[in-house]
Amino acid sequence: MSGIKASAADRRDARFGYVLAAPSLTVLFLIILFPVLSALYTSLHEYTLIAPNFDIFTGFDNFRLALADAEFRHSAWLTIRFVIGVVLLEFVIGFGIALMLNKVERFKPIYYAILLCPLLMNPVIVGLIWRMFLHPNLGIVNYLLSTVGLGPVNWLGDTKIAIWTVIMVDIWHQVSFMIVLLLAGLASLPKEPYEAARVDGANAFQCFIHITLPMMRTVIIVTLLIRLIFAVKTYDLIYIMTRGGPGVATDLVSYFIYRTAFVGLNIGEASAMSIILLTAILGLTAYLYRYMRSIR
Amino acid sequence: MFKKLLLGSVVALGFTGSAMAETVNILMEGVPDTQFVKELIPEFTKETGIEVNLEVVNYAEMHTKLVPQLVSPQGSYSAIVVDFYWVGEFVKAGWMQPLDERIKADNFDTSVYVPALMDLVGQVDGTTYMLPFYNYAMGLTYRTDLLADAQNQADFKAKYGMDLKVPATWDEYLKQVEFFTKDGMHGVVNQGLRPDPIAMEWSNYLFANGGTYHDADWNPTLNNEAGVKAVEQYKTMIDKFGPVGSASFSFDEAFNVMAQGKAYSYITYNFFRTAYDDPSKSAVVGKVEIMPVPGPTPEQGGSLNGAWGWAIPKSSPNPDAAWTFLKWVESKEIAKKRALAGGSPTRTDVFDDPDLNAKYAYFPALKQMLLTSHNFPVFTYTPQLVEVLGRELSLAVAGEKSPSDALAAIEAEMAELARKDGKLK
Amino acid sequence: MAGIELRNISKVYGNAVLAVDDVSLEIKDGEFMIFLGPSGCGKSTTLRMIGGLESISKGDLLIGGKRMNDVDPADRDIAIVFQNYALYPHMTVAGNLGFGLKLRGFDRAEIDRRIRAISDMLGIQPLLDRKPGQLSGGQRQRVALGRALVREPKAFLLDEPLSNLDAKLRAAMRTELIKLHHKVGTTIVHVTHDQIEAMTMGQRICIMKDGRIVQVGAPLEVYRNPVNTFVAGFLASPPMNLVAGRLEGEGQGTLKAVVGAASLPIPDAFRAAYAARSGSEVIVGLRPEDFHQSPMGDRSSPASVVVVAVELLGPEVILVAELGGTGGPEIMARMPRDFMARPGAMLQLHYDLTQMHLFDAASGTALSRPQLA
Repeated sequence: MSGIKASAADRRDARFGYVLAAPSLTVLFLIILFPVLSALYTSLHEYTLIAPNFDIFTGFDNFRLALADAEFRHSAWLTIRFVIGVVLLEFVIGFGIALMLNKVERFKPIYYAILLCPLLMNPVIVGLIWRMFLHPNLGIVNYLLSTVGLGPVNWLGDTKIAIWTVIMVDIWHQVSFMIVLLLAGLASLPKEPYEAARVDGANAFQCFIHITLPMMRTVIIVTLLIRLIFAVKTYDLIYIMTRGGPGVATDLVSYFIYRTAFVGLNIGEASAMSIILLTAILGLTAYLYRYMRSIR
Repeated sequence: MFKKLLLGSVVALGFTGSAMAETVNILMEGVPDTQFVKELIPEFTKETGIEVNLEVVNYAEMHTKLVPQLVSPQGSYSAIVVDFYWVGEFVKAGWMQPLDERIKADNFDTSVYVPALMDLVGQVDGTTYMLPFYNYAMGLTYRTDLLADAQNQADFKAKYGMDLKVPATWDEYLKQVEFFTKDGMHGVVNQGLRPDPIAMEWSNYLFANGGTYHDADWNPTLNNEAGVKAVEQYKTMIDKFGPVGSASFSFDEAFNVMAQGKAYSYITYNFFRTAYDDPSKSAVVGKVEIMPVPGPTPEQGGSLNGAWGWAIPKSSPNPDAAWTFLKWVESKEIAKKRALAGGSPTRTDVFDDPDLNAKYAYFPALKQMLLTSHNFPVFTYTPQLVEVLGRELSLAVAGEKSPSDALAAIEAEMAELARKDGKLK
Repeated sequence: MAGIELRNISKVYGNAVLAVDDVSLEIKDGEFMIFLGPSGCGKSTTLRMIGGLESISKGDLLIGGKRMNDVDPADRDIAIVFQNYALYPHMTVAGNLGFGLKLRGFDRAEIDRRIRAISDMLGIQPLLDRKPGQLSGGQRQRVALGRALVREPKAFLLDEPLSNLDAKLRAAMRTELIKLHHKVGTTIVHVTHDQIEAMTMGQRICIMKDGRIVQVGAPLEVYRNPVNTFVAGFLASPPMNLVAGRLEGEGQGTLKAVVGAASLPIPDAFRAAYAARSGSEVIVGLRPEDFHQSPMGDRSSPASVVVVAVELLGPEVILVAELGGTGGPEIMARMPRDFMARPGAMLQLHYDLTQMHLFDAASGTALSRPQLA
């Protein structure tokens, strides 16, 4: 191809393409890039709600403060573990259910409707409902457990259990997302390789390992990535269910940043924390994206 | 030409503005006292011709909704209600108009307010920014039927060598909590959720042990005998005498346990008192009474004070109309009507009103509670202090920190916040 | 290696749809059998039942003499080549070839040996490290074949394996498959709707329609003696001309098939067989290749036609013409490559009477007659 120059007409087409793309690109920049840059700018200043101005430039002090804050580090580490736990569990459960549903032929719309219900609910409502269900003395969950001689379980009041309770509720709320995406992926898989594999002598498990998983790889990575990003941002459930307690057992980083901003009034430091979080997520996304391209 | 057009439209706008009935916009929290105000508003509109528009939201949304309106030169709220949490912040940021001149011009008597409330949500450093709206001081709600039971009285006497009666001191109350934890009953139910519920409830424990948050120079005074005892007692209550899970209860969940008749006592906001007598919410109608949280001696109280105040923001589009409304809503007549409907008063003359005392037998107790109550530290970083308290107390209750370690951590952060605010030199 | 026997096999979908209706067939060990029929005739379903990908609703399937109805496809020791190849998209060619062997627990060395042998045979050695997405249609086809071959099964089931290839490649693959069959000698069942494939590749053809077998036989035998108008019209291209006519007269020299204005005398050899039907409506089957430009002694009868169109194919010419004069039934005739005629012209052709077929007008069934060599 080298040595052949684009003709004038080609260049004109290219220019026209840029012109066509310009409005949407501009809007995209304004909507997405501007807030990010604004947060970055804020993070470099001492900006509080008491004195909402950019008078004092502090460089990376906010970042240093954030990283030195043991509470922030605790929240970040807790969030990492929470995200891994939630995403993995949801993936395993979601994939299992998706595989089962993929075989179902009758009443599919009904299953879909039921599955989608939790997903359509506002997380605040989900949190409130589950707080009610999980009330140690008056809640239905402990009542049901008591009928089989178990409990009472201190769902939200025990530092060892609370995070798992939140994970469980999050799974209840979000697992349908996994199911729906994975199910769509499964439904779009070609049938023939399965038939070929059956003839080749693969049993159901071998089909899953050697055919389904590899063919679903892209869908799986995208699903995991989206869920992961959402899980990092988990805020509502914590706010409604535990407020980060008992102790600091469920103090996820999004809630921590919220408090730094709106309770501590320190927008600058909160912005710095958000930027740190954003960087981490971006890095992870870039890594997964490259991995996905490499396996194509 | 263009200028003329612009001018014309401005004039037109001005005309429509003055031709329209004036509207007072207020952002309020969805609580009973807001409802009582709302029901009386038609009277105000009839009297003055001013419309009142109440925007009612959750507590969680209020601060985030208020701040953008307060920082802008012309906000959308004519008047606001201010939780005592925010007083320091709002004053520091200069968001509220001083009311002294209006008070003086209209001869509005502020001396009728309970002094503790005036200190909390009225005056700051000699300037009046707010009129106290309603109080949510915390009191001890307890089961009168259990106290009156003859068997209980005999057993209690046998065990502790003293009579079973309305507790006069904190220690006496603690014995009763221990005593009533039996046969599936709990001596107490706590609201251990962080941050506000635990911080607010524990403050009563601190005061009941004779403790304080800080001295006159804002040096923190928590990590001492009173403070450690308060934390230890609180932890014991949750671990031994309370229902499973109260370490994560918010006030409504704790209230439900009490209202279902499963606990002897619950320290809570006084506006819950009326709910105990509502058969739709309570299984213990007529069996619960409220009293000031007992203190170290019968003369001292341990109650934590709390209240909301009315204020006019600097960004108010129509401060005069807002003041007209404040004057009216805080007048004796309207304040009494609100109290009759079930509101929590702030004026002593309302507390002393014979009609009210006839209707609500617990009004003297409420007044006593307010008079002996203690204020939470009010400064710019009150919400942050609540946050720190919530976290550290919750850690202590969970057994992940010793009481004195937790208190030391609170002291350190509190001192830093006070220093940042210029309170602590 | 094994023969395959179908005994009264039916396939019912849901409760109502009868896809395969009471099919019985014996495929001999080492035979190259073609299932031919239009789409929806049940040929693929029958193949998939043999392969075990579809359950058998009724009847028995025997492979190598053993009943296989409820045996897992993996355990039938057959290999299937699918129409769209069904390669594993995420595996390399070598991975595709070796997958079945790996699952069957062959050791690495044996798998490698077989992959090498097969890829040499199919000429796909250079492709072993590529993935299916990087291959052309013909290469994929070879890999799919290789995947079947490498297992060395008792029988191959090919489900329209050539239909996705372009014409040239298809012809080449046809030859290769035939050669392959000679080489390995394994039973092959090949499903197709392409009659050229059927004629050229199979040792026997099984023609199906509406879930039933219409006729089974060697390609030439089926070509020469179609049992009904369906088979007659399906095989060969252009197919047999089927025109409505009438049997008239009797006795020597007078029994004839009248088609429009033309009349074709019945050869003596057939007269006894057809005489009883004299006076009845029939469908007359005339193969395009049986029209000639010059007489063939007493075997042929002159037939005048009016030229409608002339299709020049190169090696030959297809003449479309009206039999017996303008307005007569339209027929096609296969003419030599130098044939020329102008549309509208009246021509005299000679029809080889010994190749004439007669079918019952109502049922389309061939009227039986003596076989001619």
